[in-house]
Amino acid sequence: MEQKVVTLAHGAGGKQTAALIHEVFEEHFKNPEFTADDAAVLEMGGAQIAMSTDGFIVSPPFFNGGNIGKLSICGTVNDLACMGAKPEYLTCAFVIEEGFPMDQLEEIAASMEKTAKEVGVKIIAGDTKVAGKGQVDQVFITTAGIGRLTEGFATSGAFAKPGDQIIVTGDVGRHGCTILLAREDLGIDAEIKSDCAPLWGAVESMIETSRDIHVIRDATRGGVGTVLYEIAAESHVGVRLNAADIPVDPAVKGVCGMLGLDPLYLANEGTMVVIAPKESADALVETLRKGAHTAGAAIIGEITEEMAGKVVLTTEIGTQTMLPEPGGELLPRIC
Amino acid sequence: MSTYSIEEARQIIQGYDGPKIRIMEVCGTHTHEIFRLGIRSLLPENIELISGPGCPVCVTQVGFIDEAVMLAMEHHAQVCTFGDLIRVPGTEKSLADIRREGADVKMVYSPLDAVELAKQHPEKEVVFLAVGFETTTPVACLAVKHAMAQGITNFSVLVANKTMPNAYQALKTSADAFLYPGHVNTITGESVCRDLMEKDGVSGVIAGFTAEELLDALATVVVHIQEGKPFFENCYTRVVRPEGNPKAMSIIDEVMEPCDTQWRGLGVIPGSGLKLRDEYAAYDARKKFNLPRIEGKANPACRCGEVLQGKCKPSDCKVFGKGCTPQHPIGACMVSNEGACSAYFQYGGK
Amino acid sequence: MCVGLAAKVVGLKDGMALVDASGAKREISAELIDDLEPGDYVMVHAGIAIAKIDEEKAS
Repeated sequence: MEQKVVTLAHGAGGKQTAALIHEVFEEHFKNPEFTADDAAVLEMGGAQIAMSTDGFIVSPPFFNGGNIGKLSICGTVNDLACMGAKPEYLTCAFVIEEGFPMDQLEEIAASMEKTAKEVGVKIIAGDTKVAGKGQVDQVFITTAGIGRLTEGFATSGAFAKPGDQIIVTGDVGRHGCTILLAREDLGIDAEIKSDCAPLWGAVESMIETSRDIHVIRDATRGGVGTVLYEIAAESHVGVRLNAADIPVDPAVKGVCGMLGLDPLYLANEGTMVVIAPKESADALVETLRKGAHTAGAAIIGEITEEMAGKVVLTTEIGTQTMLPEPGGELLPRIC
Repeated sequence: MSTYSIEEARQIIQGYDGPKIRIMEVCGTHTHEIFRLGIRSLLPENIELISGPGCPVCVTQVGFIDEAVMLAMEHHAQVCTFGDLIRVPGTEKSLADIRREGADVKMVYSPLDAVELAKQHPEKEVVFLAVGFETTTPVACLAVKHAMAQGITNFSVLVANKTMPNAYQALKTSADAFLYPGHVNTITGESVCRDLMEKDGVSGVIAGFTAEELLDALATVVVHIQEGKPFFENCYTRVVRPEGNPKAMSIIDEVMEPCDTQWRGLGVIPGSGLKLRDEYAAYDARKKFNLPRIEGKANPACRCGEVLQGKCKPSDCKVFGKGCTPQHPIGACMVSNEGACSAYFQYGGK
Repeated sequence: MCVGLAAKVVGLKDGMALVDASGAKREISAELIDDLEPGDYVMVHAGIAIAKIDEEKAS
């Protein structure tokens, strides 16, 4: 019998990631607070808080539109924001490869400072480990954060209802595309900047506009397609998207065309999926469009009762087709 | 020469009320786009689309993957491949499996990039896995020529390229009409398909890849088929010239020569394979590394072969969607996004 | 088989062409096409131009 091993697909955010969490981690960690959402909701000493943690291993650590430092702040801030929690405190742990240039570390720390300031979150503790050459790839960062929940406001991947509108807060697939171009020697050059951005400001302004919001999800690893499949499963509903309404940067479209990839499955680091009743959706989009990082917000579809658990696309010629379920590592298709 | 708008084409297709017609889309990218665009849902019951053998990954024999695995594992070569081949199961292992074990498997966008890698890393043996039809073969031939011109000796190709003409002969009774693969015809031109009509009475149209082009091609088939005689039409004239790309054809002929080859599912089709000519033997990975003849073993439960010939639907196969999924493919048709089984599975095909 | 993408030629040098597909740029081989000029549209496959195509219908 062949020994089972962890594969790249287990880290791609799709079905296999979910299976790994379910079969290994949930099996051992399960407790009433253990969550499938981006952050856990807790009560401590009478205060309602959200807590989240995230590890970052992006290669290369510097990319167009950000670096691993900015990413590590945005990731945890956005996980908290998705629960409607105002990020208050962060911790960070560095694992640095021996030989990593000091000035690059400076630059990473500086962008962490700048991003944290924008959100108003404090970095209050950290840890530093240096690993031998080759034991890690340049630098890995893990952040954890605590946020204060907005009173009387709760969202969850299980709250989507038929008739709800599906909003994306910006064009999809830019971070994944940026990293793909930087990492693989595909020889493709495009002016694409990662969407990496902290989104607490956007969430705060949405809550001020309307508290009638059912789901907020960070469409990171696995992209918008994966997140929608997760929501469809958790809420036992169908998702119908209108292909023509999904915002995609033209250059991202060009890259995806060359490589036979779907932008819906490329990662985002500053784009969320928001699901809200029809009555509040237009106002939310209007608010988002005024925001610094969410000017490209758009309604891309709606939640349906039928086709529960599935994501269906209305195509450019008006037909219906299923969005393929997320599965494993993205591989360019050429021949 | 007719060109129908999307609306006209739809009316023609949906208004068809004659006897049942079976149309084979030969090309895997057609299969993929037809699913992505939901075109099957527009067809009346008496028009059936069959997914043919035009996905290079799907018709590549198991032994080819075994050869690639051997090159990476035993000869420590850097194996360069299109992403399409990474998950294809070999007899024991796929390229994805050996990559996890530390083998040097590298995804490239073009064979020319593999030559560049060989140039930058003279200490490595770089092998490009050449699969594909007439569209993809010219660039593999160019890669060999570039390497030779620059005196690069640490580059070679493992060739499994195939050509379509004899495959059409093998498939000609499988369907009433073919959607010919537009990008193959971009290279080969119209003559192969015209000959099929004139000499063998085989009907078909050359099709493009957008919604408009695919619907136009299908409508053209529906209109011609009712005229009751063999037909051929080029519905992709914005790209396909009658003469094709003679320069590309001549570079194939210069570097490679025909041979008999095994197609997964279709068996040996005489003269439908390509191998490097003797002048280029130094770039032939099989000769360079003295590879033994490998007869790969496909999983016996898999019915990819019949699927490729339109003899059964993916969902008729016992392992479809059960043991065999895009995450854990048993047969090649489940591996590539272009494969008929994968497309059926992912798009919930009927 | 054969994912193809229409792209515009924006530069030419030594048998290579720089092509642009709505902002995604790549250097490809232009050896198989005669008389290519900047501004032409080509069908690109696996790093080479396989055909010159009608400009107004390029996408």
